[in-house]
Amino acid sequence: MSDFQLKFYTNFIKEDRYMYLLKGLGNTLIITLFAVVIGVVLGFLVAIIRSTYAKTGRLKLLNALCGIYLTVIRGTPMMIQLMIMFYVVFVSSNNKILVAVIAFGINSGAYVAEIVRSGIMSIDQGQFEAGRSLGFSYPQTMWYIIMPQAFKNVLPALANEFIVLLKETSICGYIGLMDLTRGGDIIRSRTYEAFMPLIAVAIIYLIMVVGLTALVGKLERRLRASER
Amino acid sequence: MKNMKKVAAAVLGVCMAASLMACGSSAATENAAPAETAAAEKTAAESTDSSAAVTCVDDLPGKIIGVQLGTTGDIYASDYEAEGSTIERYNKGADAIQALKQGKLDCVIIDNQPAQAFVEKNDDLKILDEEFAVEDYAICISKDNAELTESINGALAELKAEGILDSIIGNYIGDDTKGQSPYVSPEGVDRSNGTLTMATNAAFEPYEFYDGDKIVGIDADMAQAVCDKLGYELQIEDMEFDSIINAVQSGKADIGVAGMTVTQDRLTSVDFTDPYTTAKQVIIVRK
Repeated sequence: MSDFQLKFYTNFIKEDRYMYLLKGLGNTLIITLFAVVIGVVLGFLVAIIRSTYAKTGRLKLLNALCGIYLTVIRGTPMMIQLMIMFYVVFVSSNNKILVAVIAFGINSGAYVAEIVRSGIMSIDQGQFEAGRSLGFSYPQTMWYIIMPQAFKNVLPALANEFIVLLKETSICGYIGLMDLTRGGDIIRSRTYEAFMPLIAVAIIYLIMVVGLTALVGKLERRLRASER
Repeated sequence: MKNMKKVAAAVLGVCMAASLMACGSSAATENAAPAETAAAEKTAAESTDSSAAVTCVDDLPGKIIGVQLGTTGDIYASDYEAEGSTIERYNKGADAIQALKQGKLDCVIIDNQPAQAFVEKNDDLKILDEEFAVEDYAICISKDNAELTESINGALAELKAEGILDSIIGNYIGDDTKGQSPYVSPEGVDRSNGTLTMATNAAFEPYEFYDGDKIVGIDADMAQAVCDKLGYELQIEDMEFDSIINAVQSGKADIGVAGMTVTQDRLTSVDFTDPYTTAKQVIIVRK
């Protein structure tokens, strides 16, 4: 037991090493939070453009652009996208968090777009027709009739995407940004012990994901209340 | 169109202000992509402003220093964190060099030999005359394997006495001797003792690097020479530098050879053989 305590001391307490984890956790949360916001906005926009094209044939040019966006983002690894953002696109920017937020946001947007589109397409065509015959315009039908139903359907898949995003930020270390994983790596490179830092990092991720899942579960229950 | 002009004007304005203020210091904004937003230009300009160039070790406090994670450069440079320096830890030395070239860092602290290789390939970089630290390189071996440490020490001593070690190092370092004396295993070596797995991080020229799909370098040749002496088959595993000691501790690799410096911290986790060479940590800056 004293061996365990000693290891705990050298890995976390000595030289304030827990600060690496704390600072890293902060960065991970900031990146995830803002990337989710960008991802949701981008994703919903792209999904609406794509499903509008599928249903009405309008927005042809925008649809083609969105198609390219989806192909490129989903067809290349996140790590490469992050490195391109840091070393090629934002050459003169030294704000790593901003670069990471943009890179992860753009990446997440592509996946959110397909999730939301599947939700929109899953709503029966009759709902559209009913809305239009009640005198709603297309955007109004979308906003008041289709979206609320679609959102409920895609919530589990959306939550999944955010969990994936949260964990995927662990590659931030590749651009020298200190996220939670890199914080653990730094401790590991100082103490040369794998167990403590890795397990600690894993537990912190797990707690965050469990929390996120619980939140989404609550939201799902709230939304389902309208079904009764 | 109007907006574009405004942005362009703002960018130009920031650039001019920056170059006026930073008169004499190298301006990294020159190679900035024109499509950058004004805000991005601004941060870049600010970071170059704060970097009244590093010219000696005493200039390091308050600067943005790039290192490779887990190297001695990282460990020594981290002492400057208390003095207001920012330490940026990259997976590879080459990544840090890239960031330095783009003006994201003020300097990079790295081993002398790879530094020479980097500076040779990048005209816009130079090594400061004053070294950052001097250190010994050695092979790390698990504490449970004292026997292997002993026998490798014996082999190293023989290699030193026979001049083989010097010729291996000379084959990679030094303008006159480079490529002159490649190491070749002696004929008919008995390899009945099994396989010796060596963990390394093959992004550290000239100690270990990829030549085609083969890992070569001083460490690779030296490990081969040691294996020839001791009757092992050498197998090289490439991994991240900060994983090497873990791999050796857990038995995934028998020895770690990666231009690794003997430090007190590392000695608490693994054993080291006698040093096979010494090296310097140097500071690379933009010209």
